[in-house]
Amino acid sequence: MGHHSFSGGVHPPDSKAQTASKAIENCPLPEELVLPLMMHIGAPASAVVAVGDRVLHGDLIAAPRGFVSAGIHASTSGEVIALEPRPHVSGSRLLSIVIRPDGEDRWAQGPGEADPNELSTDQLRDRIRDAGIVGLGGATFPTQVKLSPPEGKKIDTLLINGVECEPFLTADHRLMLEQGERILDGMEILRCLLAVDQVILGIEENKPDAIVAMRQICKGTSIEVCPLPVRYPQGAEKQLIFAACGREVPSGGLPMDVGVVVQNVATAASISDAVRYGRALTERICTVSGPAVAQPKNLRIRIGTPLTHLVEVCGGLKEEAAKILLGGPMMGMAQMNLAASATKGTSGLLVFGSSSLPKMLQGPCIRCGRCVSACPVRISPTTIAAYARLDMIDEAQQCHAMDCIECGCCTYTCPAALPLVQSVRHAKGAIVARRRKV
Amino acid sequence: MFSAILTLGVMGLLAALALGFAARKFAVEVDPRELALLEVMPGANCGACGFPGCGGFAKALLEGKAMVTDCSPGGADTVERIAHILGVEAIAAEPEVAVVLCQGDNLRARDKYIYQGLEDCVAAQSLAQGPKACPGGCLGLGTCARICPFDAIEMTAEGLAVISREKCTGCRKCVSACPRKVIAMTPLRTTVHVLCNSHDKGALVRKYCELGCIACHLCVKASPGAYKVENSLAQVDYDSHCDATGGIGKCPTKCIRDFILGYPEGSSFSPPVVPVQAEENP
Amino acid sequence: MADLVLIFIGALLVNNVVLARFLGICPFLGVSRKVETALGMGMAVVFVMTVASVVSWYVQYFVLSPFGLEYLQTIAFILVIAALVQLVEMVIQKVSPVLYQSLGIFLPLITTNCAVLGVAVIAIQKDYSFVETITFSLGSAAGFTLAMVLFAGLRERVDLGPVPESFRGTAIALVTGGLLSLAFMGFAGMVKG
Repeated sequence: MGHHSFSGGVHPPDSKAQTASKAIENCPLPEELVLPLMMHIGAPASAVVAVGDRVLHGDLIAAPRGFVSAGIHASTSGEVIALEPRPHVSGSRLLSIVIRPDGEDRWAQGPGEADPNELSTDQLRDRIRDAGIVGLGGATFPTQVKLSPPEGKKIDTLLINGVECEPFLTADHRLMLEQGERILDGMEILRCLLAVDQVILGIEENKPDAIVAMRQICKGTSIEVCPLPVRYPQGAEKQLIFAACGREVPSGGLPMDVGVVVQNVATAASISDAVRYGRALTERICTVSGPAVAQPKNLRIRIGTPLTHLVEVCGGLKEEAAKILLGGPMMGMAQMNLAASATKGTSGLLVFGSSSLPKMLQGPCIRCGRCVSACPVRISPTTIAAYARLDMIDEAQQCHAMDCIECGCCTYTCPAALPLVQSVRHAKGAIVARRRKV
Repeated sequence: MFSAILTLGVMGLLAALALGFAARKFAVEVDPRELALLEVMPGANCGACGFPGCGGFAKALLEGKAMVTDCSPGGADTVERIAHILGVEAIAAEPEVAVVLCQGDNLRARDKYIYQGLEDCVAAQSLAQGPKACPGGCLGLGTCARICPFDAIEMTAEGLAVISREKCTGCRKCVSACPRKVIAMTPLRTTVHVLCNSHDKGALVRKYCELGCIACHLCVKASPGAYKVENSLAQVDYDSHCDATGGIGKCPTKCIRDFILGYPEGSSFSPPVVPVQAEENP
Repeated sequence: MADLVLIFIGALLVNNVVLARFLGICPFLGVSRKVETALGMGMAVVFVMTVASVVSWYVQYFVLSPFGLEYLQTIAFILVIAALVQLVEMVIQKVSPVLYQSLGIFLPLITTNCAVLGVAVIAIQKDYSFVETITFSLGSAAGFTLAMVLFAGLRERVDLGPVPESFRGTAIALVTGGLLSLAFMGFAGMVKG
């Protein structure tokens, strides 16, 4: 196991030293918490509270709509002071529930504690769904959907993702060092739920202390801790499956097509909370870092904490922000200001000043082929970009544009500084739009 | 000499006989109207009718799947000829041109963030609704200009799309390509337009654009019936046929423009020479 | 047998009908935007060129030579080839509409193609026997197809690049064609022919 290697990939400077040794700190409660109804993939939740309602920590404030959706829970006790469009991480203003904390942080009753061994798989799944858990690696896909494979799909391997290949981010790293038992418990629950024999925990080799710690914790269980070579995007679902299990997810397929379910370590930890203690997903670990942040930290934040508050807690900014990213520098979402608030998928907040940004001059493609050799899904970004530019959508589709995982390796490696991943994303958008039309 | 004529003559005759025989024996029926239709079509294969090229449109017409008036690039002339071939009565569609309802180039409209990336409006729009602070303004990255099959759209140096009234055939490709819906189809006879597409309140518009409509209603008062204000945005009422020129001078933000007097600043197009309004019915 | 192979290779590569003899430039530039259509055109040429050479060989040796009318070669060949292609087109259209869709639309383009006539005339000039004529015309037609497909492939690639404004369209196509022709000069002297 773990001797395979996906093709392509890049080695960006990992820049994790700023926060890798910093223990997780509790982020103090902000003045108000802004919880957008859209913070997961799928249908947005619908609010079930009204302005003026008193809520307790863990109360359901927005119910899921449909199967692929997730509920949202109050991340502290307090009063609902507004239900209005607020700045969202996507850049637009989306309907959000605003809570003013009362400072007491009283927990709601909730479904109560339970012993996972005495629960049926359906009960386990219900508890996970009712806790509003989504993939915390950044994709925010509702977890219970991933844990409900359709009839006929045999799952034999559970893969836990502790790779954290994005530069700067150390949230999962610290979580494994400090709260390994939660992760282990979550993994055992998932193993029972999926009835799989093989559980693999993949960790990149640049976190030797985490590998040692998790090996120590997993001693006596059949969970295999699998060190993986340092290469971006080692933590991308399909690349991780190939590296850890030697199975290749077919083009257009899902991990469950090769009998694998992948979950992030942070997701596993919150599954433990949800199942064992009946606690909803209301907080997560977030790395606040970047050259412009005065005191980079790993913070335990409430979902809905305004980004400005996170920066304040980290000592403010050393220089004027020129680039703000939510998530890592490779795949993170650019923000135009700090007006939005943290969602379930906010694994990191990075702020760069203009002095630390590379000054790249965009030039014509010199056909060096670096993007092709760096592409982990083995497509040709420069060709697809050219097709996208000429509006040749059929041809782009024939070049498997839809297989792109938008990891950003092509853009990172391009000596002409071409926005390749954006072009491919553009082509994907056009393909999807046309499919809808036909 | 004689044998040469005879030989060639016989060969020619044989070939002619063979071809004549084959033409009868292997005749395939082709609707002659299809060929006639192709003759009168513009042949740009622009797809404005919604069919794959002029050939596809001709087939669809014969099968009754398309409307006679669907070919907007051809104009009234083509519609009439198509109707003649098909033997139907044609109600010629009023000629239309596309107009970019915005004058907010990089000098006059503020950006809310610095955009670095693909030179494409659709791509830019997907990043927090585009870099322009105005939610409806022209992004100026030229997606419409690249898609125009008639080369009728130019981008000014300061990033504003301007559509030539002469070259535009009304095919609507730019209208569907623009992610901000800032391009509108307007009757060719009307040369006066309110060049703003922001439905925000006036105070907000003033913050991000020098040439935005603030919905002050002065144009409505100056030319009654020619303008309407809906949702904080004044528009020329194209159906009213009233003279809208009176409102131009009254607009405090100068966002009403008569294209007879010139295209928006920075455009290289010269103003249309013949005022089409003269043909107005009495 | 060795002779036939040499004739075939010579016609295919060394004296490529498009890139060395510069015959048939019109379809070479006109129908080479996409590999698919170029291949269709090439297949049509393979068919027409072979049939035309065979028929013109018969015309030459059974009609023109016996009457001493060799000087009527050009006009007689054109007459025969044009009539023949038209005939074939009609038959295909009736018998196999599918084949007509993929092949037939190119047929009118090559009725009076200089490459077709040229190959027929060259075969006569070289005093080829009947079998040699067939081999020669097959080789030439295959060479034509090869040139078309290579060129169309190049043009598809060139279309993706940011070609300077002044070079767009036919200009860059001619430059590309010239370079392809230079590449084929590398075969010169490989076979005496």
